[in-house]
Amino acid sequence: MYASVSSVALFGVDPQPVSVEVFVGGGARASFTIVGLPDTAVREARDRVAAAIRSSGFRFPGGRVTVNLAPADVPKAGSAYDLPIALGVLAAARLVKGTTTDVVALGELALDGAVRAVRGGLAAGLVAERTERRCVLDPHGAGEALLVDGADVRAVRSLSEAVAVVELDAPGVAAEACAEDSVPELDLADVRGHAEARRALEVAAAGHHHLLMWGPPGSGKTMLARSLAGVMQQLSSAESLEVAQIWAAAGRSRMNQASRPFRAPHHTATPAALVGGGSGMPVPGEVSLAHRGVLFLDELGEFPPHLLDTLRQPVEDGYVTIARKGVSVRFPASFQLVAATNPCPCGYASDSKIACRCSPGAVQKYRRRLSGPLVDRFDVRLAVPRPQRSQIMGPPSEPSAAVSARVAAAHTFQRSQGRVPGALGRRQLDQLVWSASALGLLDESIDRLHLSARGFDRVRRVARTIADLAASPVVEGDHVAEALSFRGSL
Amino acid sequence: MRDDRLVLAFVGMHPDRRAGLVGTYGSAGAVVAAIRRGRVELPAEARAAASVDADARKAQLAEAGITTLALGDPDYPAHLGRLPGAPDVLFVKGVVPVVPGVAIVGTRRATAYGRSLARRMGGAVSEFWPVVSGLARGIDGEAHQGTLAAGGRGVAVLGCGIDRWYPAEHRPLGVRLIETGGAVISEYPPGVRPMGWRFPPRNRIISGLSAVVVVVEAAVPGGAMITARHALDHGLQVFAVPGDIDRATSVGCNELIRDGAWPVLGVEDLVEAVGFTLGESQKRRSPIDDPVLAGLGEAGSTVDDLISRLGWSPADVLSHIGALELEGKVIRDQGRVVPR
Repeated sequence: MYASVSSVALFGVDPQPVSVEVFVGGGARASFTIVGLPDTAVREARDRVAAAIRSSGFRFPGGRVTVNLAPADVPKAGSAYDLPIALGVLAAARLVKGTTTDVVALGELALDGAVRAVRGGLAAGLVAERTERRCVLDPHGAGEALLVDGADVRAVRSLSEAVAVVELDAPGVAAEACAEDSVPELDLADVRGHAEARRALEVAAAGHHHLLMWGPPGSGKTMLARSLAGVMQQLSSAESLEVAQIWAAAGRSRMNQASRPFRAPHHTATPAALVGGGSGMPVPGEVSLAHRGVLFLDELGEFPPHLLDTLRQPVEDGYVTIARKGVSVRFPASFQLVAATNPCPCGYASDSKIACRCSPGAVQKYRRRLSGPLVDRFDVRLAVPRPQRSQIMGPPSEPSAAVSARVAAAHTFQRSQGRVPGALGRRQLDQLVWSASALGLLDESIDRLHLSARGFDRVRRVARTIADLAASPVVEGDHVAEALSFRGSL
Repeated sequence: MRDDRLVLAFVGMHPDRRAGLVGTYGSAGAVVAAIRRGRVELPAEARAAASVDADARKAQLAEAGITTLALGDPDYPAHLGRLPGAPDVLFVKGVVPVVPGVAIVGTRRATAYGRSLARRMGGAVSEFWPVVSGLARGIDGEAHQGTLAAGGRGVAVLGCGIDRWYPAEHRPLGVRLIETGGAVISEYPPGVRPMGWRFPPRNRIISGLSAVVVVVEAAVPGGAMITARHALDHGLQVFAVPGDIDRATSVGCNELIRDGAWPVLGVEDLVEAVGFTLGESQKRRSPIDDPVLAGLGEAGSTVDDLISRLGWSPADVLSHIGALELEGKVIRDQGRVVPR
């Protein structure tokens, strides 16, 4: 006698439906076998499932019990299949009435039959919604699954309650609300002074330009970086769900919120923590948690070069690929990069009042670390001076919402011009329309400011964004001139 | 006679010791002979240097493109030659200006403020007079850079052989000084390594080649203070840039002002005051009519300051600055906008 229950495998970010097929019967000797590329934790499920079934007051069927997790080529790991296996065994042995084919179940079983929380609630919700099935989950996972619009979610605390859903279509218990797992945002209204840097944030957000800031300790670089997420347009609901999916794959919950993620990995992070990986099932790293948001690298000069090298793929392609034994996973990682650094080890090389204590050799060494292919990606670069007393004491500044509105208008304008916000390649740059004065300034800038080809592209890209902020289809001389002042160098 | 002095100069002794030995033995030739006989205690390297004769040295110098100026030569800088303890022989690459210059000196560990000021002074002063400094990091290097940017003449006085560029990263700077009509000079022969004790004596040459000494930023103690003390001994006018009293890099300058140096109140002010001291005619610059340029002040300003001072939008100020930079009227230096 045969039954099947749906479940979900967490491999990468996209949920993969898994079918748990159970056959009971035949053979005089009792046996319990699980096939279909299960890892150790899944094999241990035999003992947990058998105990949970008995503890819940059911009989464990005699004879041969065979469980197949299909498709076999999708890697499955963890203890999350206990619940679907138990439901399948009971249904196949006809110990419960009703059909299990319209159920997506996920959960670990305790020996007493209780359902324990596992990762993947959101993925289960997505599969259930797509296949129009009921989703049976622990209350915590149910909270995640409820983020999916239109998903039929039943929270259960035990195997008996899960059986009640199958037999009687019971509504289940209340789901737990998702806990917030991100840093609260900073509003630009709280950032005093820094008129130049605020403008740089606006330009960076409007053009999706990566931003590099340097300045002495305490000049406000971190604060400025943290407020960038609030200046960017809010996430659409599709984007928000996409972000929540990535976070769920990393075992973290993120409410269905419209604010952009802000991640600030430390320079001692491992490559796996930064770009994803880890032993066993690959888990998304910081670059993916920052997807559609801001990745902030504080103290860029302290990041070891091999760590910065791992950022090249995500910065160029917008995703990371992690290869594992025959399979590779692709995690989205399209973020806006913001980096801050001291200009030298002591931090005061650029300060007008405090003398730098570093030896010239140390400064050179420090700055050499700040060069290289990654640093080339920063379109907007500026020094952030320590704000003066008059600025700190000054009136509150413009709030993020006002800046964000201008950024949104610039994006709308870009789309009306048939461009997408983001990096313009050289060919696209060559097709832009420039005013005569803009062309004159660009021409002059190559000779007088010794711009490299890449530096020239950066100026053109930023100038286009500044024109977008001014809703100007043609890039004017003023826009180029302003872009020129965002090409500072350490 | 001149040949003996050349051979003795190649020994590379501390100038005070050389002068003392010449006094004891009566002439440079006698000192050379005494060294060759082993009568003078010297490192083996220095003693070996004394055994090479003048003709071989002249050939060596000619090959390296180095000329010499011996005390008493007609083209030896007259104002330097008048000083007690003037260097006997100077090794020169380039052309030493005949007229006295303006020394701009200061600490190697300068603030961004001091550096940008030194650069502007180097530029403004070199429009009228040669700028003399020590090619060191910090203030010295910036003064030379300013001189080159303004197309002026500059002299760098080294504390090592003039073929041993120190610091090494200032070699291109020194080479350009030579190429643009200035000079790099030293009283130490080619090949002499930079050593701590060689630097204080060279400061008297910086002072000796100048009619005015400007100290931009100086810690106490420091080479710039030595130069300033020499200048006071030589009866020169000393200028110092006043600074915060609790800033290490301003202590020396403030001390000099207390002891009678003239405070520098601005780059234009300096040029005018130096002109008054040296009696040169003045070229007046055109008045500033650009509001951003006018708002910059002497040592430049941050963009944030300009924005709040002018009351313009950040975008307007930034695009104005970009245009000024393109015109070569300002430079961006570590977050500051500095007039050129």
